[in-house]
Amino acid sequence: MAKIAYYPGNVARAGAYEVEDCIQPLCKALNIELVELPRASSDGGNVIKQATPKLQDALVARNMALAEAKGLDIMTTCASSHGIMCNTADNMKRDPVYASNLNNLIARTSGVEYTGETQPRHLLHYLVEEIGLDTIRDAVKNPLKMNIAAYYGPDMQREGACSGDDPFMPTYMEQLIEALGGTPVDYESKCQSVGSTSMLTLEDASLAMTAAVLSDAIDSGAELVVSACTVSHINLDSYQSKAGRVAGKNTAVPVCHLAEVVAFALGYFPDRLAQLRTRARLIGS
Amino acid sequence: MAIVAKVWIDEDCITCDACQDICPEVFQVTDESSQILAAVRTDGVFDRNVGGSPLVGNLGAELGDIIIEAAEACPVEVIKFELVADGAEAPSAEAAPAAVEAVAPAAAVAPPAAGASEALNAVLAGDRSLNILFGSQTGNAAGLAEKTAKLAANYGLNANVVDMDGFDLASLASMKRVMVITSTWGEGEMPDNADALWNAINANGPALGGVHFSVCAIGDSSYDEFCKAGHDWNGKLAGLGGTEAFPLQECDVDFEPPWKQWVAEALPLLACVDESGTLQVELLDEMKAYGAGDDDDVAEGDYTPGSIVRDELSLSLEVFRYCPEAAQSGWDTLTCSVPGHATLQDLLTTMQRDVDGSLAFRRGSGAGTPTTGVRANGRIVLADAVMVGDVVADGGRLRIEPLPGHPVVRDLVVDTARYESHRSRAEPWIRTDPREGERLPSGSAMGTMDAATATALHQASDVLSFQLVQAMSDTLPHDPHYEGPGVHFQQWLRVLDPRTSEKQRRQIMDSLQERDGVWSEADHASLMRYGEDGRLAARALNEARGALLNHNRYAGKSGRLVKWYGRSVKWSGNVNETTLYRQVLGPLGLVSNVFSGVSARMALAFTRNGGPPIRGLQALLVPPAGLGRIPKMFNGKVDDYHEVVSLFNEIDQRF
Repeated sequence: MAKIAYYPGNVARAGAYEVEDCIQPLCKALNIELVELPRASSDGGNVIKQATPKLQDALVARNMALAEAKGLDIMTTCASSHGIMCNTADNMKRDPVYASNLNNLIARTSGVEYTGETQPRHLLHYLVEEIGLDTIRDAVKNPLKMNIAAYYGPDMQREGACSGDDPFMPTYMEQLIEALGGTPVDYESKCQSVGSTSMLTLEDASLAMTAAVLSDAIDSGAELVVSACTVSHINLDSYQSKAGRVAGKNTAVPVCHLAEVVAFALGYFPDRLAQLRTRARLIGS
Repeated sequence: MAIVAKVWIDEDCITCDACQDICPEVFQVTDESSQILAAVRTDGVFDRNVGGSPLVGNLGAELGDIIIEAAEACPVEVIKFELVADGAEAPSAEAAPAAVEAVAPAAAVAPPAAGASEALNAVLAGDRSLNILFGSQTGNAAGLAEKTAKLAANYGLNANVVDMDGFDLASLASMKRVMVITSTWGEGEMPDNADALWNAINANGPALGGVHFSVCAIGDSSYDEFCKAGHDWNGKLAGLGGTEAFPLQECDVDFEPPWKQWVAEALPLLACVDESGTLQVELLDEMKAYGAGDDDDVAEGDYTPGSIVRDELSLSLEVFRYCPEAAQSGWDTLTCSVPGHATLQDLLTTMQRDVDGSLAFRRGSGAGTPTTGVRANGRIVLADAVMVGDVVADGGRLRIEPLPGHPVVRDLVVDTARYESHRSRAEPWIRTDPREGERLPSGSAMGTMDAATATALHQASDVLSFQLVQAMSDTLPHDPHYEGPGVHFQQWLRVLDPRTSEKQRRQIMDSLQERDGVWSEADHASLMRYGEDGRLAARALNEARGALLNHNRYAGKSGRLVKWYGRSVKWSGNVNETTLYRQVLGPLGLVSNVFSGVSARMALAFTRNGGPPIRGLQALLVPPAGLGRIPKMFNGKVDDYHEVVSLFNEIDQRF
């Protein structure tokens, strides 16, 4: 059985509880043991960093150190949280003096330190690289049978954060969708930002960015958009009708998180999958 | 009073604008480097003056002290000058011009050829200036002009490549050697950058009695007016009394071979024009031998620079096309095989030559020219510096698009006017009034910077091009007022620069805080995707935000978001979305979300996907709006959350 520490990110256990609903059964079906980190805190969401980069790095380093204390890599379902962890690991790797300073702080306050042994992983990369598409394909019980556009966002689509995928022309999620019985839809904007960290402060721009991604996916034939980022998922879903009105674009399309569609295809929540199919085919958003 | 004979700019100018601020009569700073204005030089050319053209008239005496002040103020010491009579002060201003004339530009003297005749050595010892004027629509002529200039050095010529746009026509008469390389646009029209000069020379062309010239005309023989612009120039220069040193060379779409023939003949001929402006044809064979390096003293060995060779790649090439006349866009797709070490520019040039001559893109010198930016397979790169093998593997698809964030003019050519306009308004150059820093013996102040600060500043700004940084933003295309990260990055560097006056620093900070300022970037992650340049930009913009938060005490929505995000994490270890919503948006924002349907979508999302709509009693409390669906009013604390509080207290007690 594969074993990995689990970091839910900032919203999977708050505003995006559907991710939490699905991640546990998904991992059970694929023989992955998720190890909880009950002491792990928020990673600062790239917001605290604006005031104090060091504080955000310390929070993140502490979370990774908690996983390292258990001898495990750390996995998240949120592309934004994954990108933040990779940034901190990168900052510490680039500057050993800074790393030592951070480690002194978290050792003094929390009794742990991060040496770089533990690697941050995103659910998508973990499924494709560690579990394997063949294993997943064999485990599928309810093939998705929909035209699905994958949304990656910018946070994990850079060198050093996207594992073995291409940072600018990624295909991991498309491969996974295919293995789950869906038909991947290619579109230009899959790595574009939807301004999720700024929705409260820059609403007009964020809505326009959200609408651009959704309408591009729809124009390319998508019946469903699947997000690898929990925070962006909220923008794409909760704000989609407002974004469509503000930008004057068609944005009506169901949006799910990656963890949801994998769980659905593996046989969990068949009623939810049925509703999703109905929405996709008949109702739209 | 010092009299300056000539002034020039060495390489590695950091375009800090200090020289222009001190002596705008002589220096003008462009994106690339500080340059010496044409009006103050005897050769009338606008460039760095590495050829050492003397200053005109009494200017060296009138502005000598100020030029020296500018040179001493230059933080990277690239401003070089030469004093009349080795720094001795001239007895009177009237004596200056004669003295200036007596100083021969050091760089203008070509090395004597061993074993050459006295006549050849005499020619090589004189003025060796050559001006290469180009008229270019798509960059082909400009590229050839650059290559011609490099070859001219073989004949001991100091070549200046001159864009016809902005060229001072009056200076043409004083030139001894002129080469014109021009394309023909449309139905026999001049390229855009040659239009004004062509009109000017027709209206008031100077007599060109002492000018020897030759013209290379580029065109497309499928058009009726093949190479018309080149023929027009040839006729006009001859009509004004110029001497055609070598006949006009016509070049078709495959322009390189005929251009090579032309430079092989025209350059040695023009090189035989002596100091007095006389063409010494009898020296031609000897000059050719000199140019070819047939010199007994030449050291043996292979001194060719090393080159990278990569395997041939088979790929599917997709190039974005846009025709402004028809307002239509699309993709040209073709299958091709190219060496992996070819640059994107090589690939586009080949496509233009072999497939479609109308393909428009900007050309560069081959060393990373900022204007050659394109997006290749998602990456923002300089087309003249990036190899095909760096962006696509064998058998893959290569998609080349215009640089994002700028309006497209045609095909891969973008209009950077908006960026330039924002930059001009933001004024990210040093304004030193009142100037801070050390005092010169004269009493005037000089901006100073210690070596460590200069190094840090250099490292912080070490990006290929601010235009590319501008193109990295995903927000910019969706906000027409946003000035963009490329502009704000430059402004922040000025704030960090100790030579910046306090007044300017305050102005920049105010400008960054404004509505279209540094808070307008919705997501720094979109910048960080683009390698080291993006990382540097994101870091700088984040630093600017940190400074603004301190300066403005967390004012405004952005300040409140940071403050309450930090506080909610400190209180429980988790983010409390309801707190953020209340504090950042306020009651009006919450009501707005109710009426806009956002709250309803939040509440009903679970129902739509089949999940339970309500997960706890807290959700029934008022107000229900939050960042996510049915958020918690109060967070549960993470285990040992006092450890989180300790981290906050150790690092930042403001929360």
